[in-house]
Amino acid sequence: MAIIHDDAGRRRFLSQAVMGFGLLFGMGTLALRFVQFLVPRPKPRRYDAVLIGAESKVPLGEALSMELGGHKIMVLRSDEGVAAFSRRCTDLGCLVSWSKEREEFVCPCHQGRFDKTGKNIAGPPPRPLDRFDVVKRGGQLYVNIQNG
Amino acid sequence: MGSVASPTQATTADGPVQKNWIDYIQKDLPEHLDWWPYTLGAIPLTLFGILVATGLMLTFYYVPSPEKAYESVDQITNGVYLGWFIRGLHKFSVDLMILFVLFHVIRVFVTRAYRTPGELKWVSGSVVLFVTLAMGFTGYSLVYDNVSYWGMTVVTNMLGTIPIVGTPLMYLLRGGEEVSGGTLLRLYDLHTKLLPALLGGLVLGHVLVVRILGFAEVKGSRGFHPFYPEHTMMMGAVAIGLLVLLTDLVMIFPPGLGPPANPQEVASDVSPPWYFSAAYMWITLLPAPLSLWSLLGGAGLFVVYPFVDRMLSQRGWPMAVVNALVGTVAVGVFAGLMLLDLWM
Ligand code: FES
Repeated sequence: MAIIHDDAGRRRFLSQAVMGFGLLFGMGTLALRFVQFLVPRPKPRRYDAVLIGAESKVPLGEALSMELGGHKIMVLRSDEGVAAFSRRCTDLGCLVSWSKEREEFVCPCHQGRFDKTGKNIAGPPPRPLDRFDVVKRGGQLYVNIQNG
Repeated sequence: MGSVASPTQATTADGPVQKNWIDYIQKDLPEHLDWWPYTLGAIPLTLFGILVATGLMLTFYYVPSPEKAYESVDQITNGVYLGWFIRGLHKFSVDLMILFVLFHVIRVFVTRAYRTPGELKWVSGSVVLFVTLAMGFTGYSLVYDNVSYWGMTVVTNMLGTIPIVGTPLMYLLRGGEEVSGGTLLRLYDLHTKLLPALLGGLVLGHVLVVRILGFAEVKGSRGFHPFYPEHTMMMGAVAIGLLVLLTDLVMIFPPGLGPPANPQEVASDVSPPWYFSAAYMWITLLPAPLSLWSLLGGAGLFVVYPFVDRMLSQRGWPMAVVNALVGTVAVGVFAGLMLLDLWM
């Protein structure tokens, strides 16, 4: 153990430690770059209000599903007006569908349920459905998907 | 065996100092290994071989693209000569492999065979179990019917909810924001290249570790039972029985195919294969973050169990009783959740 207190021993230890760290750092950076190569970058998406048609096209108590700018959306007209929800279930991303009889959005994956305001009422979903703003301009409905 | 001399035999012809390969094979096993459940590790090994062989054959026809994947599976099942049989063998081998890995785990757990010096056997074996399950998931996704499409969505999303590493991990698996052709290709690569290589290495490592570390000692059991030919014979008999069973199973239950993937509509019944159905019911019944964390926590506890055992038995816990209890409860919960899934 005496060799540790030797100057030459210490110098060797230090230089080996520095080399070791340098090597690890270099390898780590390289590994990280490889992982970055494998992880794709999310595409930026920019759209704003998208015309979906006249309000009268959505029957009362019925929900129309559509895909706007990569978002799967359900436009629901109830007695509270027109609302647009993302169909993506807030649990694990299955698509909800509208059950007219029960007046609920149901998710078939783990029996998640949401009421007509999008609130999660049963099953594993931890939060309400995402909503998109619906704007009305001269009898035409637009869905604002920018904040999606 | 004189004519099939190994190269080492020539150099050490007149000295028993260096061990011959035959000595390794003929290594004595503790007497208690006479009991057939101790061959349960050899069954998954046989099945692994069948899986590699049939899997290789399937890759000749399978096309990992979203347009062609389902169609090619359909062709294998209904068009190619004996395609249904090869696919059926592949499918049932997975089912049986997971079943017998589970039996093996239960046997090891109940007999506490993971005790010193067996910790490494348990840890490496548990990684084998997880990789086998990952093989199950990725293979099941390749069929690209509607259930497997939504299975991919759910599982990748589940990984995405893990803090910090979750989102990159999800992108890594999906190859994009959504489940797409990129995802299928990645799962295909995992299923046919990375994971089998990993699993092959792990299985080899596990067997080597078992050979090197030897077996846990059981009171009153002496080393009288040679690995070759006795134990090997027993394993062989078990393997042949297995092949017969497998063939029968495939012929009685030929593999089917659900409706093709539809990104616009979720399949009405998304029940996964039986080995995931307990976990599936678990995440259905519990609220979202809790279910995931309990699953991850349970898996972690499972891996480090030998150390938990050591800690608790040092404090005087009757671990044999505890394990019997834990094992019974775990199997009960697993079976209960599976039944619930069948019934719902
Ligand atoms: S994904 Fe909708 S309830 Fe789980």
